[in-house]
Amino acid sequence: MGGRLALRGIAIGYLGLLLALPVGLVFYRAFEDGFSAFWNAVTTPEAMHAFWLTCVMVLVSVPLNTLFGVLCALVLVRQEFRGKAALNAAIDLPFAVSPVVIGLALILVYGREGWIGDWLSENGIRVIFSPVGMVLATIFVSLPFVVREVVPVLREIGTQQEQAAATLGASPLQTFLRITLPAIRWGVAYGVVLTTARALGEFGAISVVSGKLSGRTETLTLFVENRFERFDLTGAYAASVVLALLALATLLSMNLLRPKEKKA
Amino acid sequence: MAIAVEGVSKRFGEFTALEGVSLEVRDGSLTALLGPSGGGKSTLLRVIAGLEAPDEGRVLIGGDDATPIPARKRGVGFVFQHYAPFKHMTVRENIGFGLKIRKWPKGEIARRVDELIALVHLEGFGGRYPSQLSGGQRQRMALARALAVEPRVLLLDEPFGALDATVRKELRAWLRRLHDEVHVTTIFVTHDQEEAMEVAEQIVVLNHGRIEQMGTPRDLYDHPESEFVKRFVGPVTPLGERWVRPHDVDVSLDPVDGGIEAMIDRVIHLGFEVRVELTLGDGQHTWVQTTRGRTQELELQEGEIVYLRPADELVSA
Repeated sequence: MGGRLALRGIAIGYLGLLLALPVGLVFYRAFEDGFSAFWNAVTTPEAMHAFWLTCVMVLVSVPLNTLFGVLCALVLVRQEFRGKAALNAAIDLPFAVSPVVIGLALILVYGREGWIGDWLSENGIRVIFSPVGMVLATIFVSLPFVVREVVPVLREIGTQQEQAAATLGASPLQTFLRITLPAIRWGVAYGVVLTTARALGEFGAISVVSGKLSGRTETLTLFVENRFERFDLTGAYAASVVLALLALATLLSMNLLRPKEKKA
Repeated sequence: MAIAVEGVSKRFGEFTALEGVSLEVRDGSLTALLGPSGGGKSTLLRVIAGLEAPDEGRVLIGGDDATPIPARKRGVGFVFQHYAPFKHMTVRENIGFGLKIRKWPKGEIARRVDELIALVHLEGFGGRYPSQLSGGQRQRMALARALAVEPRVLLLDEPFGALDATVRKELRAWLRRLHDEVHVTTIFVTHDQEEAMEVAEQIVVLNHGRIEQMGTPRDLYDHPESEFVKRFVGPVTPLGERWVRPHDVDVSLDPVDGGIEAMIDRVIHLGFEVRVELTLGDGQHTWVQTTRGRTQELELQEGEIVYLRPADELVSA
């Protein structure tokens, strides 16, 4: 008994010190000067813009990465081809490479002196120092999650259910929508949650490609850094709280969806 | 619907699963594809279903070339070895799936599903999920699902393979009766000769991707055309240079023409059947199957010298 209690104590203590305490303090500090101070800090035009831009990042990158992720997982699990191992490894690249490097890489391609940056700027398309580049960076860093969640589920379900659907007259699209998608739905949902969380919290790559123009290319994370560096601690903590609440809402929405499902 | 397979070959890389296989299945018949694992029987079934495209040859269903037709348009019901239940659907939804795909009105789907649930004896289980069913129930659900769309042909891959022995025996008899009721041309795959003999009207023995022999259960047992078929469809025992059925050996106490001298090592009583283990003059070990009555009549005992002779020449080397 004593051993088990000690184990539990270590686990809870570890999480408490490293997770609960710091996050709790952020909440505490954000509301230290009262709710109105918090409210004023998060409703400045810059803060509102940062909030809106963060939402745009999520709303663009999550659907794209979900679509691409499911497609990619299907290709990886169901098809055999040359270079499959390379593709498999490439998908993990955003995990392995530091976001700052990803930001720099994007500048190399799309920047003013970049590979296709010249052509783009001649055609009036600005990628670097604009939300377009920031979306690209967010997609890049949050790309592997859906793929990595869906691949093992697809492997596990195998192809027999799909073949059974085919012998019963279902077209490939009907089979995908009625059989494959319901079977992998939890993998997809979890991937979406992780992608959303990653997109919300992205800092490194975005900070390189955005140029950090307050009120123009500043997401919530950049806004937090900006306020912190300018000793506007209430602003920094308040924006942090908004970020944390967004992440929490993402996690909760998934947990709320779950019990509604009938047990299969 | 009658099925014909003409010169079908199928390779997976270096491995040849089927080589020049041709066979015919009568309309409304019940056929078993029998053979050891890796013999090509499942591949043949999948080729007939359209789940696998043959490298050579063609498949005719009802006289029409079905080779270029995809599985979903072949009108073939397929029951997978592990039943492939749609796990996120209830029993009713599973059975009605093919009808829903065919855009049947809801009321008619419900009526047809009710009929099928009664046919496969799953009354009261319609609202359950596959994970809440036993193996045998899952199998019957898969069967009902395949039958729902009124297939021209019913194909079953190792239909009893994943069930325990008692349930297997029950379902065999049940499948036989079901076939008498539904009368759909049926082909099933099995590696169990007893199962094939009991259920099928026609047996096709497959080995190394080729057909060894085709015929009625009795034909195969009494007139095996090869050593492989003889050994696969029933028990054999060595007698000198040849292999014979252990119950087709005459045991006598006196020397007989063509008889082989042997000494009894052991007499094992298995109820009505008695198994006698012997050593031949040249040291070869063999065994024969006889009855309790015959054993008592001859007073067979350990250490005794007897003479063995193939009872008839039906089974030859």
